[in-house]
Order: sequence, then structure tokens, then C-alpha cells
Amino acid sequence: MIVADPKPFQQIRGFLEDYRKILVLGCGTCVTVCLAGGEAQAELLASGLRISFSKDGKEATVLEDTVQRQCDEEFVLPVLERVKREGIDAVVTLACGVGVNFLSDRIGAIPVFPGVNTTFYGGNVEPGLWSEMCAGCGDCITHLTGGICPIARCSKHLLNGPCGGSEKGMCEVDPQNTECVWQLIYERMKLLGRLHEMQNLIPTKDWRPAMDGGVRRSVREHIFRLQYKSGAGA
Amino acid sequence: MEKESHLWATCSAACPVHTDTREYVRRISMGDYEGALDVLLEVNPFPSVCGRICHHPCESQCRRQVIDAPVGLRLLKRFVVENTREYRVQRRRDTRKQPPKGKKVAVIGSGPSGLTAARDLALLGYQVTVFEKDSVLGGMLAHAIPRYRLPMDALQEDIDDILAVGIEARLNCEVGKDVLFESVKKEYDAVLIAVGLAESHSLPIPGIGSKGVLLGIPFLWDVANGERPFLGDRVMVIGGGNVAVDVARAAKRLGPSTVMMACLESREEMPAWKWEIEEAEEEGISIMNSWGPKAVLERDGKTTGIEFKRCVRVFDENKRFNPQYDEMETTAVEADSVILTIGQKANLDFLKGTPVTVDRGRLICDRDSCTATERGVFTCGEVMTGPGSAIQAIATGHDAARAIHHFLETGETLKLPQVSVETIGELPAQTAARARRFDRVEVNLVEASARIRDFSPIEPGYTEAQALAEARRCLACATGAVLDSGAQCAGCLTCVRVCPFGVATVERTAVMPAQQCQTCGLCAAECPAAGIALARFATNKMKENLEGFLKDCSPGAMKRPLVVSYCCMYEATTREYLREQSQREIEATGILRVMVPCVGRLSAIDLVSPFELGADRVAIIACREHGCMYTGAEELLERRIQMVRRFLDEVGVGGASLQFYRTETSAEASWPRFWQDSKRVLGELSAA
Amino acid sequence: MSQDNGMKSGSNLEKVFRAGHLAVTCECGPPKGADVEHLKKKIQMIKGYVDAANVTDNQTAVVRMSSIGASAILAQNGVEPVMQMVTRDRNRIAAQSDLFGAYALGIRNMLCLTGDHQKFGNHPFAKNVFDMDSIQLLNMVRTIRDEGKVNSGDPVEGGVSMFFGAAANPFADPFEFRVIRMAKKIHAGADFIQTQCIYDMVRFKEFMKMARDMGLHEKAFIMAGLTPLKSVGMARYMNRNVSGITIPEAIIKRLAGVPKERQAEEGIRICLEQIEELKEERGIRGFHIMAIEWEEKIPEIVERAGLYPRPAVA
Repeated sequence: MIVADPKPFQQIRGFLEDYRKILVLGCGTCVTVCLAGGEAQAELLASGLRISFSKDGKEATVLEDTVQRQCDEEFVLPVLERVKREGIDAVVTLACGVGVNFLSDRIGAIPVFPGVNTTFYGGNVEPGLWSEMCAGCGDCITHLTGGICPIARCSKHLLNGPCGGSEKGMCEVDPQNTECVWQLIYERMKLLGRLHEMQNLIPTKDWRPAMDGGVRRSVREHIFRLQYKSGAGA
Repeated sequence: MEKESHLWATCSAACPVHTDTREYVRRISMGDYEGALDVLLEVNPFPSVCGRICHHPCESQCRRQVIDAPVGLRLLKRFVVENTREYRVQRRRDTRKQPPKGKKVAVIGSGPSGLTAARDLALLGYQVTVFEKDSVLGGMLAHAIPRYRLPMDALQEDIDDILAVGIEARLNCEVGKDVLFESVKKEYDAVLIAVGLAESHSLPIPGIGSKGVLLGIPFLWDVANGERPFLGDRVMVIGGGNVAVDVARAAKRLGPSTVMMACLESREEMPAWKWEIEEAEEEGISIMNSWGPKAVLERDGKTTGIEFKRCVRVFDENKRFNPQYDEMETTAVEADSVILTIGQKANLDFLKGTPVTVDRGRLICDRDSCTATERGVFTCGEVMTGPGSAIQAIATGHDAARAIHHFLETGETLKLPQVSVETIGELPAQTAARARRFDRVEVNLVEASARIRDFSPIEPGYTEAQALAEARRCLACATGAVLDSGAQCAGCLTCVRVCPFGVATVERTAVMPAQQCQTCGLCAAECPAAGIALARFATNKMKENLEGFLKDCSPGAMKRPLVVSYCCMYEATTREYLREQSQREIEATGILRVMVPCVGRLSAIDLVSPFELGADRVAIIACREHGCMYTGAEELLERRIQMVRRFLDEVGVGGASLQFYRTETSAEASWPRFWQDSKRVLGELSAA
Repeated sequence: MSQDNGMKSGSNLEKVFRAGHLAVTCECGPPKGADVEHLKKKIQMIKGYVDAANVTDNQTAVVRMSSIGASAILAQNGVEPVMQMVTRDRNRIAAQSDLFGAYALGIRNMLCLTGDHQKFGNHPFAKNVFDMDSIQLLNMVRTIRDEGKVNSGDPVEGGVSMFFGAAANPFADPFEFRVIRMAKKIHAGADFIQTQCIYDMVRFKEFMKMARDMGLHEKAFIMAGLTPLKSVGMARYMNRNVSGITIPEAIIKRLAGVPKERQAEEGIRICLEQIEELKEERGIRGFHIMAIEWEEKIPEIVERAGLYPRPAVA
């Protein structure tokens, strides 16, 4: 899941000085799950903005809405129509960075501002805590590391074992909170009876499938660019 | 949002008239006692009576008993009627009836079933006449229930209500004597036989004719009418049912030194309610179990005692009443009088020679349609069902009214639909184990030694504080958290994680099973999709509600600073703070109270939106230390407050504007101080 | 240790090893700027007392003069450099390019490291690179030297005869993996190993036994790393704050047992005792003395350890 954190309120407030009719748009998927940008958070931010505007004597309307996902055309279209219909002049989206882009690509001359800081792909390891677990490198190597990713979870992205900063199972970069992933890999490989594989050299990685190869896209040929438009009859 | 589970709460399901128990209890909690009375009267024309004497199957089925003890529903009901008298009189005047139908119905007998049917029919527009052989209405309620249990004025309240609908009551008019059944039948479009079981059975044993042998119902009848039948100093009551206990306890109040009861049943088998037996024993009545009367002993025609034989078995394999005795084991007890209370029967002599069939003293009838054998003749109450409770009789009165209404509208017999209600079942043990225990509010009966002196009521009602405290114990079963169908539930599991009772689950989307939900509202408060609401006591429309309160207040007149105070309504010991405030009061005090069933269910937006609506300060007043019904609610609320304070700091309102207090002693004792404090601190802030 | 006679690089350090002497290296941290004079002073302090000196590469992620530049200055001033190179700050393109540049400037020893995380330095907000780790770096530079190919497989113009080293830390976790990791480094291309500074002799000897069991002592020249403790305060600080270093309680007690003004001398004595003990440890082929901000003590330590004068090898 994509994880995000709310942006500081005053930063968002600062985006909006020149606007009079603002839509705060929540997203019902990842950011809802990580409690950063769902409907409740949209309501809260909108309320905060109204209070702030009122205190500053700024006349502005703040509207709220939430869609299931801001990264799909069909979910986003009604919002775009609403923006046009109601004369909204700025949107603050609480979706991840994808949502900001997705809207900006489609909304025309209306600014879209980010309401959250998108952080990582992570798992909800305990209530209220999300941890990074995948770096989206495009060429998964976890089959070599017991299913545990050293690219995402090692502070130095080491591929051949722990550095000297691994102590008592923790990473020297954040010894309070972060486990040394190579300790985890070591224990897991031991558990799997595959410890001997750790003697093998994992060669330098081809980073092209990661974002170092340029902007990435993902294609499913079987439905990509179908010749007809569903339901459109054209 | 009134989306409730289709499942019935066990209390309502157990009540023969399906009183909406949760709703009247909720209204009590909100200080709306009048509204609670409305709920009661919706289905039960005898709330005053039931508040005193109902055997309360609702309590017997209350799911709270798995946690600690059932909610004191009967006394709550009594509290309602005792605290809404003026309203009730007013309400009487406003009773709306349907236009006259031009048809007449005769009701023979004015017990709870007959009067219930009479009222229902009168409200439907029928012209109803009640024939009562006695000088007062109420049947067994008026005559057979001792006054210490049911004072006459309580019964009268209910009867006044019923008569106010517009019913002709012909008192001292016994059908069969003063007026013939056939002529009634001729004069009315329908006749309802609701004569109850007003006579006691006797026993064919030697000595039964001796002077000193009495029958239970006539005895109670006499006592109720102020007469004092001769009992002597030693009284033996035969029977183990509720009427027998009433008889014994009534007899005790007439002064004899010894009152005993004897019955066939063992202690466990006795049909009387357990609490009635215990109260009787407290009053010095001893009970001889498993003895059957063999002969009444007499000398010179006067009763001197009674001989018993051992009863070895009351019920046979088929659980039918079929007593077996050991004739060899006997005992004799001296007594100056013997009162037989071994069962009741109807007096149906008035039907002799009419087409209405009576077989061996029983009215032949069809319970499913409340009909006797003759067209246009209906029946209800104990004459139809056999011995039962008042509330059951009331239920059959409703049934009979429906059947008669249908008959008069269509000419056809109505087969009453068999309503099967699906209840939410027992509270699962694992949920109960996580629920906090709260002692049931008990009232102390008058000391046994004092209560046997006369027929004064022996049980005090709840005080307001007691009623509010007890109402709080209601689990509001099956009215808990529900996911809004339109919500963007992402299956985030937050509800699962914050639920103190381990109830919430995610099955694609959030599910809060009604069987287990304890209605704490924590999931609703934390749902990031703002998609969970509570079916009752909803707080998800808080902002709209606040807007409603504030929209008519004039900003100029509003006293500043304006404090919106969310308060735990369960801490109120009077309804002073529970009632809705007037606009003027809000303006004059600058305090807007919002009573919440547990402030733990307030979401972050609930804490922020008052500032948006013009409040200068939000003061949350929680329950007393460790007083919360809901494990974990306190911690979650404290954390939420911290989060919102940080947010308010960021917004520029200042986190200190969100204040948190804990009730001390009671709402009335501490809240005004908190409000003052809240305002004072605000003053300092704005000065700074 | 390769048994062929062919030198890898012909560096002084390599020659000392191959001649069978116990080698001595130390550290020479470049200045936090272009202060060449300061560097030269340090060079003068150690000149003649070590076979080569490590030139650190923005150690602890604090910005300093580049290790290539400083190494070149060492070489010009008569001390053979061991140029350190970390993968934190350069991707494989820069790393290979810097290798060629260093070689062209006469640098013959290179120590391949991943590098400290920038969190510990003066630019914690910087983006790191970590295109590869130290082992991959070793493998890459060895391939350049031995196969004449850069990482992409393209041919190298002209040979690069360098002596490659790596670090090993026997004191970090998981302990059983530390020797495997050293083996990986040796297999990837490390000709010599410098260990993290040793205080826990028991654990170190256990490590060395494991290394010998794997024959690693015959595949690379292993140098014991040592850092003399200046004071009990320093000992306690390192014990608490430096990951992968544990100082046995006995050492701390011993330092605490002498007056403050004599603690430095006590620290040096401990260091000398360690050297004596490790001279006997099979597979130890030299000492890497990391006298942190205490370079002036190098001559004294080397002399008192009986390691002076340094052999002249041809």
C-alpha cells in the first residue's frame, strides 16, 4: 500500500492565499487506510481551513469530497465536472502524489495542491504504524533474500550482507526503531535452511527497471487500447 | 440515520406487547421522560400497572445479565409514569381518534385485556361499551392484587387514560343478571368476552365445608374492598402460585400471628415468582413444600386445622399436572382458617342457553382468531388463555381488537398472523467478558416488620438519579455501529483495532455484528472514511446539530466567550442538563451543552467543527475517573484530544482552546465550575 | 593470499606482505578543506613509521578533501597511500572513473568500502547513491584489473595494477555471518583486509579461527585493526555510541583505575599488549593502527611495539 503523512497545515494554508472556492478532495483507498487522507481527514482539513480563513478575514468557500480512488479516470471524472460546474478555483487533494498528478493532468487551468506527503510502499505492521517494505525497484530480488527486501529495508540498500552498523539486530541509522534487515534475512535464510546461499555474491543490480531507467509504464496488452469504447457505441 | 438491525432486542421480543424497551430507556437517558411515556403507551395502556406488578419478562431476557445483572426495566417504567403525570393528563386531551365508524362493540369484563381491546377499538372509531359487574373497573387488577403491590391510584391513572378515549363503562352491570347476553349480542355488532378467571377452585376433601375455609379470589376481593374476613390467629394458605402468595401476604397484613403456605410443589417447582416467595418469607410466612391437603380438621363445624399427605410427584413424564401422593406420610397443622388458592376458573353462567359453547366450565374458543363459537363473539384474556400475566392479557386484548376490527370491516374472521421475531440472542460470553460491570440500582423494600402492618406500598420507585443511573446500564442492544452503505470503507481495520470488545471485523468492508456490538461508538469516531454511524445515539451528525442550535442565536446577543461543551450525559443525576437549551439560554450564558452518550465517541471533526461554527472554546466533560462504560474509550479520547490540539495549534486556534474535564461527584456538582473555568482561561488567553 | 609470484600491484604494502613481514598501516584523514599544509604535517609525523597510510573518503560522511587528491599528496610526500573509496557518494560510473584517475596519479592501494550513512555526517539531508555495495565494488575493480573490463563489459584501455583491500568487522552482528562476509569480500577481490578496531580479544580470536577454518588467512593478508584509547571517557563513549564496537569491561576498568593524566599512557600500553598478543595469532599479517586525532603517537607506538624500523623491500 502507498503510505502518506498529512502535510503541515500551514503549508497547505499557504498554497491557498489567492483562491476563493477550494475543494478538499479525499481519496478512499491507500490514504484512507493509513489515516492520512480519507473522508474523515478531508472533513478535518476543510474545517481547519474554514477556521483559518475566518480568523484571517479571508472570504473563501471550502468544499469537501472524497472519491474511491484518484488514480482512475472513472472515479475522477465526476470531480472534474463538479469543479467546472461549481466554479471551484483550487483543489487540495489528500491522495498520494499519484492523485495530484492524475488530477493535474486532467483538470485544466485549476491548480491542484498536495495535502499529504507521500512516503513509501509499506505495510501496517501494528496499529498506527506503517513500515517501508518495497522500493518499487522493478526487478524483485527477494527470491534471493528469503522474501525480505534489502533495497527497501536496508538504510544503505546493501545487497551482500550487513554492514558494520548492525548491532543487536538493529540498524545504526535508527537503532531505536529500525531492525537490521540483514539480520532478518540471515535469520530467515537460516530458518529456511538456505543460509549457504548467503555466501553467493549478488552482483551489481541493473537499475533500469527502477526509476533510473526513465519514467516507467506498465502495459496489459489484452485490454490496452481496445479498438472500441465500451458502452459508447462509437 | 435510523438504520437498525432487523434483529430484535431480547427484551422487546420477550415482552408480550413488544414494548420498545431500548427506546424508552434511551429517552430516559436523554431526560425525555415524556417521550419515554409515549413509547410505553404506544403498545401498553397499562404502564402504571406494569411499572408496579409486571413480572417483567424483559428483565428476564435482558442481555446485560450475562455481564452482571439485568437492567431494572420495570422500575424504569414506573419512574416514567411517576414523573410524567401532568404530561399524561395533557396527552389525554390530545388523543386523536379515527372518525366514528357507526358500529358498536360490547366488552364484557374490565380487566386488562378487556380494557385494552376497548381502547384500541375506541381509537379506531367504534362505539365501545364495557360491562362490569363491580363498581370499579380493572377486574383482577382492582380486586385480586393486594394494594401493597398495586395502589389504586396507579391503576386509576391507566384507567383514566383508557376512558379518556371515549368508552362507555357500565358499572354494576353483570351480564346474565342485569342484562342478558342475548340482548347485548343483539344490540352490538360484536361482543368481546373478557371476563377473566374470577373464581377460585375448591377441593373435594373432608371438612371443606367447615367454618374457616375460604377461597382465595373472594378473599382478595373482600380485602381489596376494605373488608376484613375472619381468619383467626393461624392461617393456612393452600397453593404455590402467585395468587397464593398474594393471599398469604394479604392475610399476614390482617394481623394473625401465623401465616403458612402449603403446596404440592417442591420449592423449585413452585409456580410463584421467586422474588415473591422470598418477600413472603421475609414477612414471616413459612412454606410447606410437597404436601397435598387430605382433610380439613374441624370441631363443631369450625375449622381447627388441616391434614396433609406427602406429595411425591406433581408432574408426570409428559410434564402434565398429575400429582402422586404417599398416603402413608401425613402431617397435621393447626389452623383457624384455611384459604384455598389452588387455581381459578371463569364464571360463564351468563352463557347458559346461548349459542356460545361452554364445555366443562371452559369457553370453547380459537386463540388464533380470538373467536368463540358464535359469529361476532370474541374473547381475550385469561378466559381464553388460562392463567397468565397482566401483560399477556394486554397482548391478547390488542389481538382481539384487531380481530374484531377486521371482522367489522370485512365480515371475516382474522387469523392473527404468527409473528416470529428473530432476536439477537444471548450476549456472547467473550463479549460479555470484556464489558465493564456496573451494579444494578436496587431499591430497598420497606422493612418486613413494617410492611406487614398494613397495605401500604412496600416498594419505593427510583429517584431521578437512580433512574438515570440505571438507564445508563442498558446496552442498547442491536442499535450499535453500522457501516453506511455509501461509505468509502477501505477495509482499513481501524474499527477492528479500536473496538474494545473485539466485535468489529472486516469482511471486504467493516462489519460490526449487532449481536456483539456494545454501542460504544469508538469505531465511528476513528473511522477514516467517516463511514460508521450508530443506529441510535448517533453522533455523526454533530456538526449539523450544532448548526441547528446556533443558527437562530444572534451573534450580537451571544455572550462571549462561547463555549461548546460536550458532556457525558450519563453523569447527569437530574435532567436539568439533559434537556435542550433555548436559544435565549445559549445566548445569555455563552454555553452550548451537547450531551453525548460517552464523549469517547466524538470524532476529531466533532472537536474541531465548533470552532468553525463560531465557538471560542470546546470543553469536553467526560465521566468520572474510571467511570466509563467502555474499556479503552478514555485512552482513545485522550489521544484524540492530543491530536486535535496539535491540529488546532497549527490552524491558529490554539490547542488550549480544547479543554478536557472529568466529572467530579456529579454533573450538577462540578460542571458549572468547569464551564466557569473554561471561560476564565479563555479570557486570559485573549488578554495575552 | 595468491601463491603465484606475480605481484598484483607492486605497491610497497603488497611487497611488505609478500616478503613475509608484519605490515603496519595507519590512518591519515584529509583536512575539511584544501589545507594542504595541515595534511603535510600529518604526513611528516608518520613518514617512515608505516608501510602505507589509509586516506579516508569523507569519513563518517563529513565533507573533506577527496581521498584521491589527498592520496596523491601523500604519494608526492613519501608516504604510500591506501586510498579509500566509498559507494555512498558515487555510482559505478564515477567509481570506475575515479579508480582510473587514482591509478594515473600513482596510487596503488585502494580500500573498498560502502561508507558510513550520511545521517552521521554534516550533510544528513543529502541524497545517497549506494548504486552498489563494497563487495560489488571490489568485484568491479578486480574485474577491471584482472579481466580488463569495466562493469558494462567494455574493455579498459591500459592496465590497472592495484592492490585492493576491504574492511571487516568481527564485532558487528550477526557474528556467524561476519566471517562469511569477509570471505565474500576476499572472493570478490580483496587482497588484504583491515579489521575494525579490536578490543574484545576473545571474540576476535574466535573470528580468526573461523577465518582460518575457511582458509581465508591464506587467500588475503589480514591486518588487525587497533585504536589506542586516550581516556576512559573515550572508551565509554565508543562502547555506547559506535555500532559494531564493544569494549570489554576489563579494559574500561583498567583505564578508570589510573589517574586521568596517565590514562593516555595506559591506553597505549593496552594497545601494545594487544599487538604483542596478536603477533602470535596465526593469520595476522599486520597491524592497522587507527589513532583517531592522535597521529603524533604513531611513531611511538610503532617503536615500542618493536615494529620499527619498517623494512625496505624491493
